[in-house]
Amino acid sequence: MIDRSEASKYLVGKLKDELVVTSLGNEKYDLRSSGDRDRNFYNWNAMGMASSLGLGLAMARPELKVIVYDGDGSLLMNLGALATIAMREPKNLIHIVWDNRSYAITGGQPTATAFRTDLGAMAKGAGYPKVERVETLAAFQSAADRALIEPGPWFIHCLMKDKPVKGGGLPSPTAIKHRFMDAIGARH
Amino acid sequence: MAWAESIVSVLKKYNVRFLNYVPDTKIEKILAAARDLGGFEALPLTREEEGIGIVCGQSLGGGRGVMLCPTAGLGNSINAVAALAIAYRIPCPIIIGVRGDLGEFNPAQVPMGQATQDILDALRIPSYRITREDETEKMTEGALRICYASEGPVAILVTNELAGWKEGRTKK
Repeated sequence: MIDRSEASKYLVGKLKDELVVTSLGNEKYDLRSSGDRDRNFYNWNAMGMASSLGLGLAMARPELKVIVYDGDGSLLMNLGALATIAMREPKNLIHIVWDNRSYAITGGQPTATAFRTDLGAMAKGAGYPKVERVETLAAFQSAADRALIEPGPWFIHCLMKDKPVKGGGLPSPTAIKHRFMDAIGARH
Repeated sequence: MAWAESIVSVLKKYNVRFLNYVPDTKIEKILAAARDLGGFEALPLTREEEGIGIVCGQSLGGGRGVMLCPTAGLGNSINAVAALAIAYRIPCPIIIGVRGDLGEFNPAQVPMGQATQDILDALRIPSYRITREDETEKMTEGALRICYASEGPVAILVTNELAGWKEGRTKK
């Protein structure tokens, strides 16, 4: 099983101009403690919306790679996004799902992936052309390295340890937005 | 110009490129006008909430998109509107094909249709009901102007007074 903070530190260390958007779960804190960047967009409370935000960004900015930090609970709330993303096929999208089989941020209640649901198989069934299931740091590193170079859309299904997350506290939503948009020269 | 052409020409004037939609009969008229005019990308969705996330993502990237859906779909999208478009101040135009209002045949459309204005008002979302063809251009343009000025969601309601009601199999 993968330690998300280790894996996230590895990935963030590789990033240059890529954009990263998160779900509202603990992944946003692990992303921030792996390396706060202007090009990180932290999601305070939009349930399920990480993948859709990522798709919108990937459509608006095809020249930039867009990385989604999704969670099992978050993706389960927006499964239709798998079909929409596969249909639209944004080559610059890397959809990472950190699967800890629980709603960790609300006290660890089990999600469906704690039972029989396989999100990687669902992504494959939806039509994602590149699906990797990774359970070790080395496998994550190799999948992430490829995804940063090869066209997607990628789906990287990370089976991770369920462990407490350090950090917490985020800038205000509008501060996050303005910093992010300024970094990529975007105007409304 | 017919109402759907008016809407689409204003969208183009304001550099809206992405038409993210869950279809209904009124929305299809807008999509058809957009296909005729050209220069848009239409993206069909599985659910309206997704569309709000996508419009917000497009907006954060410096692109412009709209969400097109029927009134029932507004109900499917509300937390995303609140937690993204309002909380982060992201322009998010929502063009709503009104159901559950004047001339409705489907009893299950009526509750959402009648609640739509209150839902928009409860969230302080500026909303504009277009009822006449000759006001369509001005209303659409005005709605987009306040949307990009205020950086938040705005609703444009395409009413049955404007676009007609859907014929359907009534109760018997």
